[in-house]
Amino acid sequence: MFSLQDKRFLVTGGSSGIGRQISIHLGQQGAQVTLVGRNLERLQNVTAEMKDGNHKCFSFDLTKQNEVAAFIKQQIPFDGIVFNAGIVDYLPIKFMSDEKINKVFDVNFKGAVLLCQQLIKNKLITKGGSLVFISSISSKLGIPGTALYAASKAAICAYSKVVASELAAQKIRANCICPGIVITPMTANAEDVSTTSLEDAEKEYPLGYGRPEDVSALVTYLLSDESRWMTGTDLILDGGLTLK
Amino acid sequence: MKENDFVKNFALQFDETDPESISLSTNFKDLEEWSSLVALSVMAMVDEEYGVRITADDFKNSSTLADVFETIKKRL
Ligand SMILES: NC(=O)c1ccc[n+]([C@@H]2O[C@H](COP(=O)([O-])OP(=O)(O)OC[C@H]3O[C@@H](n4cnc5c(N)ncnc54)[C@H](OP(=O)(O)O)[C@@H]3O)[C@@H](O)[C@H]2O)c1
Repeated sequence: MFSLQDKRFLVTGGSSGIGRQISIHLGQQGAQVTLVGRNLERLQNVTAEMKDGNHKCFSFDLTKQNEVAAFIKQQIPFDGIVFNAGIVDYLPIKFMSDEKINKVFDVNFKGAVLLCQQLIKNKLITKGGSLVFISSISSKLGIPGTALYAASKAAICAYSKVVASELAAQKIRANCICPGIVITPMTANAEDVSTTSLEDAEKEYPLGYGRPEDVSALVTYLLSDESRWMTGTDLILDGGLTLK
Repeated sequence: MKENDFVKNFALQFDETDPESISLSTNFKDLEEWSSLVALSVMAMVDEEYGVRITADDFKNSSTLADVFETIKKRL
């Protein structure tokens, strides 16, 4: 079993769903975790749940560059970053607008890219560090209504490959995870707009829907030195959805 | 919000269905073209035109266009 003892990780969107579980899982492995999200109370609830350790949380909006810069100023280097914060919006292509594109891309794409830029420029990622981007299986499919979300997640996959190659000299790795449906507060959103019930849609998943633990298990591996030879990949984690 | 405009906007979300065949008393879920994408289009149209959020549950709890119209009116 690999060790993350005393390693320092940053998890964006640590206040809810998958990011919450990733943070808890890393804490259990002895890591020191810094969680970020907009809602301070929810972040504090997660850190209160976490195992002893020097965990921190910072509340700010990843789409506001002055807030990102203020956060960056207070940091010391991390051994790994989990770019997990994201939003979903379901919209048929005929309803797209500049505003709608920005709403999704500002968080899912620019939020991750500009945070990464600041971390690298300020040398806040240690040699041998690992970057994990949470994309989505939607980026590889054509589910009606998901164009903006899918495109923002595909953009992150493409971006992460270039990051992997630019940072390889420093032995910093970058990988993407593309999960299928994992039950979290975000999926409640999908339920609001889908005329097919979540229960019926689960039949498409040979292994059923995922749990946040299924994603955090892969994240901990990617953050560990055991995965030292893995970089620039998109890992599909979908309970067999795409086998069909 | 005018009933006529609402019916017209609703009908616009269909591509194969004759708009003339859609009225306030139409059971929209019985229309052959009704699908999750058309449902999503109606939600987006209602948001854009009336600034109101309706959900899949609202469709589940409605039979006719008039039912949807009433739901929107209550949220205006
Ligand atoms: N659940 C799924 O089925 C699924 C499947 C594939 C991929 N994913 C991806 O997995 C990631 C986590 O999803 P989830 O299901 O755990 O969703 P979630 O429960 O809604 O959590 C989203 C997280 O992102 C944070 N966030 C959103 N906008 C932000 C902003 N502007 N600035 C800072 N933080 C922000 C939220 O915190 P605040 O609200 O406090 O800001 C929250 O912690 C997302 O990138 C999502 O696209 C999810």
